[in-house]
Amino acid sequence: MFDLARIATTLTTWWWLLLSLMFLFYIALDGADLGAGVFALFSPEEQERGAIMASMAGMWDGNETWLVVAGGVLFGAFPLVYGSAFNYLMIPLMFALWGIISRAVAFEFHVHATGSKRFWGWAFAVGSFMAPFGAGVALGATLQGFPMQAGAAMAKGAPGLFVNSPVPHFTGTALTFLTPFSIFTGFGAVITAGLAGGLYLCARFEKGDPINVKAQRWTTLFSYLALIAIVITLVWSYAIFPWAAAKWTGPYWWVWALWLLVVLFFAFKSMMNHSMQKDFVALLWGEGVVVLLWFAMWATMFPYIVPETWTIQAAANPANSIAVFTLFMTGFVPIMIMYNAYQIWVFRGRTTKMASYGGH
Amino acid sequence: MLVENSLPILLSRLDFAWITSMHILWTPLTIGVSWILFGLEVAWLRSGDERWYRLNRFFEKIFIVNFGAGVATGVTMEMAFGILYGPFSQAVGPFFGNILGFETITAFMYEAGFIGLMVFGWNKIGKGMHLFSTFNVAFASSLSAYWILVANGWMQTPDGIVLKDGLFQVTNWWSAIFNESNNWGFPHMWVATMILGFFVLAGTSAWFILKNRHADLFVKMLKPAILALLIATPIQIWLGDSLGVDVAHSEPTTLAAMEGHFHTYLPDGKPNTAWNLIAIPNAANDASLFSIRIPHVLSLLETHTLNGVVPGLDQFPAKDRPDVWVPFYSFRIMVAIGFFLFFMALWGTMLILRGQLTVAGLRKRPWFLRTMVFSAFLPYLAIWTGWWTREVGRQPWVVYNLMRTYEGTSHMGLGQEIVWFLGYGVFELTVWAGAWYFFSRVIRKGPDLESPLPGEPEQDSDQEHAGGGLAKPTFAKPTFGKSH
Repeated sequence: MFDLARIATTLTTWWWLLLSLMFLFYIALDGADLGAGVFALFSPEEQERGAIMASMAGMWDGNETWLVVAGGVLFGAFPLVYGSAFNYLMIPLMFALWGIISRAVAFEFHVHATGSKRFWGWAFAVGSFMAPFGAGVALGATLQGFPMQAGAAMAKGAPGLFVNSPVPHFTGTALTFLTPFSIFTGFGAVITAGLAGGLYLCARFEKGDPINVKAQRWTTLFSYLALIAIVITLVWSYAIFPWAAAKWTGPYWWVWALWLLVVLFFAFKSMMNHSMQKDFVALLWGEGVVVLLWFAMWATMFPYIVPETWTIQAAANPANSIAVFTLFMTGFVPIMIMYNAYQIWVFRGRTTKMASYGGH
Repeated sequence: MLVENSLPILLSRLDFAWITSMHILWTPLTIGVSWILFGLEVAWLRSGDERWYRLNRFFEKIFIVNFGAGVATGVTMEMAFGILYGPFSQAVGPFFGNILGFETITAFMYEAGFIGLMVFGWNKIGKGMHLFSTFNVAFASSLSAYWILVANGWMQTPDGIVLKDGLFQVTNWWSAIFNESNNWGFPHMWVATMILGFFVLAGTSAWFILKNRHADLFVKMLKPAILALLIATPIQIWLGDSLGVDVAHSEPTTLAAMEGHFHTYLPDGKPNTAWNLIAIPNAANDASLFSIRIPHVLSLLETHTLNGVVPGLDQFPAKDRPDVWVPFYSFRIMVAIGFFLFFMALWGTMLILRGQLTVAGLRKRPWFLRTMVFSAFLPYLAIWTGWWTREVGRQPWVVYNLMRTYEGTSHMGLGQEIVWFLGYGVFELTVWAGAWYFFSRVIRKGPDLESPLPGEPEQDSDQEHAGGGLAKPTFAKPTFGKSH
C-alpha cells in the first residue's frame, strides 16, 4: 500500500511550495524595506533618511531574515540546487550580500553616529539598492539555467572517495550569469522594490508629512515604471525561454490569460486606492500583484526548480532526509509567521518624520 | 605538496576562514549577553531595584550594535556554504543541509522575530511580554549555536551516515546529531560565550569604576559577574580537557598537530610522552627544528597515564597530515587565556571575600581594574584561536577522513576568489571598526539614568524609543505590578 517513492515525491513538492512561500515573504516584506531605502537614496537630507530607517527599526531584521530562512530551506530540502546555483550566482549574491551588510550595520550605527551620520545614511541607502539589484540579477540568471558536470569541480584528477560521484556541479565561469536579460531583471527588481517601498512609506507616514507627500509622487511614478518592467519581462521571457512560451501557449493558455487579467485588476486597484490615498489598502493590493506574479513564475517553471537544469525531484534530498525535515520543520512555519505578524503588529501605525527622527 | 595547499584551494579556504572568523567575532557576545540581559531584567522585576534596569538598558545598547554586526556577517554565512563550497554542500546536504535548515527555521528566525520587541518594545508591550521576548532572543541564539555546533561537530566526527551516490545519507539521526565532537564541542562553545559576555560586562564595569563614573552602579554589576566567572572558568577548563581527550581518539591527526607531536616513539623505541611547550615545525611538516619539551605530560593529558602511547603524525601518510603551525600555537594561546581568565575570577573572588569589592576598595587597586579591562578582549582571542585549532586541525579534510577539502570546493577562478577576499576584507573590516568604535562611544556616553521607567507616565519617552508608530496597542499595559 505504501509507495515510498510517491510519498517522497509529494513531500518534495511540498517543500518546493514552502520554498516559494519563504522567498515570497522575503520579497514582499523586505522588498518594501529595501524600496524605502532606494527612496532614501534620493533624499536630500539626512533627517529624512534617519526617519525612514527609524520607521522600520523594529521590523527590518525579521523581514530580512526570511531570505535566510529561504536559504536554509533550500539547503535543507534541495542541497543539490543550493550547492550548484549559489556557486553559479556567486557575483550577484556577493553584491546583494554586501548591500545587506551595509544596511544591517547602518541601522545600528546611524543611531549612535554624530560625525559619520551621513556616511551610515548612505550605507543604508546604497545597500538598499545593491540588495534588490543583486537579487534581481540572480533571479534572472536562475531562469536562464546553468551548465553542470559530474566529477570534481576543482583539482580534477586528484584521488578521493568522490572521483565517481554522480552529483553534477556547476562548471561555468564567474560571468556565466551575465546577460542583458539578467541585468534587466536586476533593474526590474529595483523598480518593483521601489514601488513597494513607496507604497510602504505612504502608509507608514502621517498624511501631510513631508515624507508621505514625496512618497505619493514617487509611488505614482514607480507604479508606471513597474508596469512597463513587468510587460518587458513577460515579453522577453516569452521570446527567450521556450519552456515558458510552451506553457503559456499550451492547452491551459486561458488560465494564464485569466491570471494576467487578475494581475492587472490588482494593479488597477492598487493604483486607484493609491490615488485616493487609502495607503494601506493600496499597499495590500500592490503586494497582491507580487504574490500573483511570484506564484505564476513558479508555476511556469514547474517541474523545474532551476529551468532546464534541476527538476524538483532530481534536486531534492533523499527520501529519509526530506521526511525528517518535514516532520520536524513544517510545524514551525505557522509559528514563524505568527510571531513575525505579532512583531509587525506591535510596530504598526502611522508615524511622522519628526517623531521617528527623535530617537536618532 | 598537498592539493589543499595549492593556491586555488588555499584561497577558497582563506575566503571561508575570513568570513567565519569575522562572524564569530559577534555571535558569541550576542549569546552570552542576551542571557545576562535576561538575568538583569529578572533581577529588576523581582527586586524592583531600578539600577538593574539601568544596567540592562545600558548593556542592551552594546548588545544591539553587536547584534547588527552579527546579522550583517551572518546572512553571508548562510549562503557561503553553497557559494564557496558547493560540492561539499551537495554531498552533505542530507544531514548538514537539514541541520542548517533547522537552524534558520528554529533559531535564526526565532531570534529575529523577537529582537525588535526586545529592543524597541519597552513602552509598547507589557513587562511580562517584554521579559518573554528577551528570553526568546537568548534561547534562540543559544539554539542557533547548538545547531551550528551539531553541523560543525559532525564534520569533525561524521557519525550516523553512509556515503551513497555521492551523498552522505543518514543512517542514524541520533548518532549524527549527538555526534561525539558536538557533545563536548557545544558545551565548550556555549560556556565560552558566557565567559565572553561576563568579561565584557566586567571589563566595562571596571572601566567605569576606574574613571569614577557611576562607580556604585558598576560595582553592583561587577560582583555577580565575578561570581559567575568563578563557576564558568574552571568548568571551561574541564570541558576543554574533555574535548581534547575526545579529539585524541576521534581525530588523532588533529591532536598530533595541536601538540606538535611528530614522533610516536623516541629513537630508543620508548613511547614519546613529551609535551611541547614551544615548537618550530620544519618546512616538510614532519619534525620540529626546535622545541621545549616536558616529559610525560602529553601522555598524562591524553591517556591519563605516565607512559601511554599517543599516535604522532608519523603514524599517518604525509598527505593526511594537517599543518602544525596554526593548530599548535592557536591551541596554546587559547589554553593560556583560559587559565588566565580563571586566575582573574579567583583574584576578583578574593577581593569579594576580603570585602574589598567596593568603590573604595577598588579605587585602591587600579591594577585589578586595568587587568579586568584588558581581560575583556582576551575571550575574543581565545574563541578565535579555539576555532582555528578546530578548523585547521581537521585539514586536509572537510569531513574528517571522508571528504577532502579540495573535493568540496566550488568551481571558481582565482580572480573570483580574490575579488571575494578583497570585497569581504573591506566590508568586514568596516563592520569591525564601526562596531568597536560605536561600542566605545556608547561606553563613553555612559548609562542613561534619567529617562522614565517603562510603565511610568511618559514625558518624552516616545521619542526615546523610536522605531514605531504613534499608535499604542491597547494591550500595552504594564503587567508585573510588582515594581514601583
